[in-house]
Amino acid sequence: MSVDKNMVDTNKDSLPILKVSHLKKSFGDNHVLKDISFDLNEGEVLSIIGPSGSGKSTLLRCITQLETLDAGEVNVDGKDLVIPGSDMNGTRPVKYAPAKVLRSIRLSTGLVFQNFNLFPHLTVLQNITLAPVRVLGDSREEARAMGRFLLKRMGLEGKEKAYPCELSGGQQQRVSIARALAMNPRILFFDEPTSALDPELTGEILKVIKDLAADKMTMVIVTHEMAFARDVADKVIFMDKGVIVEQGTPDFVFNQSGNERLSSFLSRFAQH
Amino acid sequence: MSDLSNLIPILWGGFQTTLAIFGLTLLFSIPLGLIIAVLKMSKYRIVRYPVSFYISVMRGTPLLLQIVAIYFGSYYLNESLGTDIIVDRFPAVIIAFSINYAAYFAEIFRGGIQSIGKGQYEAATMLGLTKTQTFFRIILPQVVKRVVPASANEVITLVKDTSLAQVIAVTELFALAKKQQAVYASIYPLFVAGIFYYVANLVLSCLFSYIERKLDYYK
Repeated sequence: MSVDKNMVDTNKDSLPILKVSHLKKSFGDNHVLKDISFDLNEGEVLSIIGPSGSGKSTLLRCITQLETLDAGEVNVDGKDLVIPGSDMNGTRPVKYAPAKVLRSIRLSTGLVFQNFNLFPHLTVLQNITLAPVRVLGDSREEARAMGRFLLKRMGLEGKEKAYPCELSGGQQQRVSIARALAMNPRILFFDEPTSALDPELTGEILKVIKDLAADKMTMVIVTHEMAFARDVADKVIFMDKGVIVEQGTPDFVFNQSGNERLSSFLSRFAQH
Repeated sequence: MSDLSNLIPILWGGFQTTLAIFGLTLLFSIPLGLIIAVLKMSKYRIVRYPVSFYISVMRGTPLLLQIVAIYFGSYYLNESLGTDIIVDRFPAVIIAFSINYAAYFAEIFRGGIQSIGKGQYEAATMLGLTKTQTFFRIILPQVVKRVVPASANEVITLVKDTSLAQVIAVTELFALAKKQQAVYASIYPLFVAGIFYYVANLVLSCLFSYIERKLDYYK
């Protein structure tokens, strides 16, 4: 019996924490995601790069349930987002899992937005503690202690009582990362976390994300910061026009792949 | 002059009726307006369309007419249906004012709710907040701040609109002032009534400025 159990456990460990298979998504006639498949192991960091309109953000939004997907399968931490096979090989709309499962998946995914989306009427600390108290049922004291700990980690000690409008863009984004971390997600997604920031403020966000990577936080990062995408990631995906053109280790994607679309994309960035 | 000294207590009595109409109307029309605003944004046409029609009728016909219709409407209804519903003058005024002002408040609230960006909803969703939690903890507090200036206009108009209640012989401030004008054969009672209205609105203006300042702690 115990042997069996160990084997099951071992199997579970080897399962990727995020598995996306043949994901498709259209807005009307616009096929934004055509056939996306990839997976990610626990503790790994995935960077997704590609030109604007390539479907990177939509992919993130499908996995985090802010958009519905049309076909394919998504498995987060061993839970299926849609009922496997319900799309009949892409001939029918997918059937989503029961609400309870969707909620459990939602709580294991965190998302950091391009525009922070902090709650302007709440203080920094209230922004962070609201969901742990109201959703997870943590006590106020626990939530506040966790909030203060996370703010310290984000280099924002002493800003507990500030309102978001009193902070710089970089500070606001660090609060929003702390807010997401307070829910203790299994995977943290970043949707262009530095695109709304002045260039001199992007560094502080990138450093925070690198620190999280060093702590083995599983992360998926959509970004236009090429050097960062290369340095922080265990795995890089290059998307263009709704398909994954290339995926692999940073070294492979940035240096060894001879793909034409990828090299022309990278050379455009090198010029800037 | 000694006669005129009686004037203030007499008008004060009418002013209390005015305040009652004012207070009760706000008490009913603001929550009702919020409900109507939410219904007007329903994704179901069967809910949205009747609500739109209600708002357009309330805003498109005179409040004076609505007061008269509600008060006398019950008599005509009783006659044709054989029922025995009696709506007294004062309740009729409160009903008419409440459903009329609810329509105006609903449009203000709807504008406020729709001005909140979808990013706020998405952030709340990602944190696992339910729709109800999101509305009451994230959206509504921000809406309150945005609708204060427009609501202040409505509230100040309401103080003056209460004078319409005299059309079905509710003796509020203006009705009494007119009566006293006839008794004294003087414009003075109307002048005093005007001061009552003006001071009430001055107090309200100060109150709303104070609320706006209080809510100015965030942008």
